[in-house]
Amino acid sequence: MPENLSRLAGEDDARSASGEGAARSTLPASTGPAATGHRPADPPRAPSPPRRRRRLLDANDAVLARILLAPTFLLLLVIVVYPVCRLIWTSFLEDSLTSGLPPHFVGVENYVSLATDPEFWTALTNTLLITLITVPAALLAGLALALVANLPFQVRWPVRLSLLIPWAIPLAFVGLIGGWFFQSDYGVVNDLLRHVRSTRIIWFNSGWLSFMAICLTITWKTSSFVALVLLAGLQTIPDELYEAASVDGAGVFRRFFSVTLPMLKPSIAVAVIFRMITSLQTFDIPVTMTRGGPGTSTVTLAMYIHQNTIDFLDLGYGSALAVVLFLVSMGVTAFYLRQVSAQP
Amino acid sequence: MKMPGPAALRRFAAFAVIVNGLFPLFWIFLTSLKTEAELTRIPITWLPHAPTLENYVRAFHDQPLAIYLFNSLAVALISTALTLFIATLAAYALARLEIGYKGLALGAIIAVSTFPLVTLLVPLFQTMRTLGLLNTYAALVLPYTVLSLPVCTLVLVSFFQSIPIDLENAAMIDGCSRVGALFRIVVPLSAPGVFTAGLLAFVNSWDEFLLALSFNSATSMRTLPVGITLYQGEFAFPWPVISAALVVGIVPVAALIVMFQQRVISGLTAGGVKG
Repeated sequence: MPENLSRLAGEDDARSASGEGAARSTLPASTGPAATGHRPADPPRAPSPPRRRRRLLDANDAVLARILLAPTFLLLLVIVVYPVCRLIWTSFLEDSLTSGLPPHFVGVENYVSLATDPEFWTALTNTLLITLITVPAALLAGLALALVANLPFQVRWPVRLSLLIPWAIPLAFVGLIGGWFFQSDYGVVNDLLRHVRSTRIIWFNSGWLSFMAICLTITWKTSSFVALVLLAGLQTIPDELYEAASVDGAGVFRRFFSVTLPMLKPSIAVAVIFRMITSLQTFDIPVTMTRGGPGTSTVTLAMYIHQNTIDFLDLGYGSALAVVLFLVSMGVTAFYLRQVSAQP
Repeated sequence: MKMPGPAALRRFAAFAVIVNGLFPLFWIFLTSLKTEAELTRIPITWLPHAPTLENYVRAFHDQPLAIYLFNSLAVALISTALTLFIATLAAYALARLEIGYKGLALGAIIAVSTFPLVTLLVPLFQTMRTLGLLNTYAALVLPYTVLSLPVCTLVLVSFFQSIPIDLENAAMIDGCSRVGALFRIVVPLSAPGVFTAGLLAFVNSWDEFLLALSFNSATSMRTLPVGITLYQGEFAFPWPVISAALVVGIVPVAALIVMFQQRVISGLTAGGVKG
């Protein structure tokens, strides 16, 4: 608390009692004398209830901070820390709600069966492939979108809306829209391709074509998020830098590679890390587009976790799968935190 | 800034961005106006020949779309309010109070913002099942609050820091307590920030699919993204009806975005945002 404030603290008390008498009507009558307007009030009246209340609310910073942060950390404890501990514990249990047996400890058995489960490896490979394909693709597309959106047009809202609305609509909606776009008979993608090739493509009969359709859809949806993050970064680059570069004879490309890209690095890091983490959890779009088919060719790790947990009620195995996903994601998070703390 | 490239090229680039972003949604809208007969014509028609609203009637009739909408709205509003309240308290502590573990607290909050929600699926399912909370709003409100809490806290911290501290000091000299100053001075003055954080929290909740699908499977408790996947049968895809339902689901969020686009952009600038 600044010095002038503590100096005024005595008068402060009295004024609060008089000025807010109405608001504190629930308090005992000892506020009465002060409320009648004898100001400045004499210090001896100090131990009145308003003062005690003030002491609670005006407690020193450390105590107040603890009170204010308590709900956040309580929630994180109950909804994040405890569940993660329980998840790790459950992954060492045989805990199937359909078996009728009580949960019992089986050591690393779930992890052993996971390592020999071909569908787990398919799901893991698909998840990593989706990440490897869609993160760079969304980054490039998002960068292009952001550069255009950052141009000083007189009317900016149409371009902005075309970034914001795809960002805001649910992934599950986008999956359905993707399914309709790539539909083999009446889909608009095949209708456009009709002009360049004679036979229609039956996207969802082939594993890798389905996979590509999903990757394209994910790229479309997530490039809007990347673009918004990069647009925010672009807006922080001072115009003087561009002007100085122009004066030095730098052309458009030189300015882009020597000014824009280096200045944009922190935003790119943020966008890439968040995209990597969310793409490791890819669920909504494959579920709504292909339901994992044909066969298991578009099943992701998150879908496999959901299937084992919710459909098969095999909580032990589902937990082991989730622990693997958690570890992969933790690695990425650690990398991200180091990036963030390295920034000034 | 000097305008790069010729004007025609810039205008074309802007047009391409708009088509890329809005064509898929426009196409869904066109589909929702077509009859099933028109839809199964080859080559496909672009503009509907005989526009009809029947698909919208069917969208509300084939599935309890109004209930899904209501549930989504209820869950999103409750979790947004809860998130804002908790994030306001935390953000004030982080923005204004001298505390030694500020870096640690911020680090923990950022770490949670990168937390994979999927890993909470199993343990939260167990807990909600034990507590009998499956198929209630609480099963979704609590995780969604955690989902949005980091972003909202970061947005609010940056807005609170932009409020001159003198205003608070003046309020406290006038007899306001510190918490009173928070809710009477800081929060009203950072209303745009609070609103932005609220929008982000709302969109997060409105969009979530995995937990909504897993925890609330009863018809009366389903949210919109889950309910909207149920129009399709094993082999039947009533695309015009699905499209109509999608339009109904997109309009509320799109309206929010259209009205408050500037706030959303500033919010995305203020806090590294998850998408």
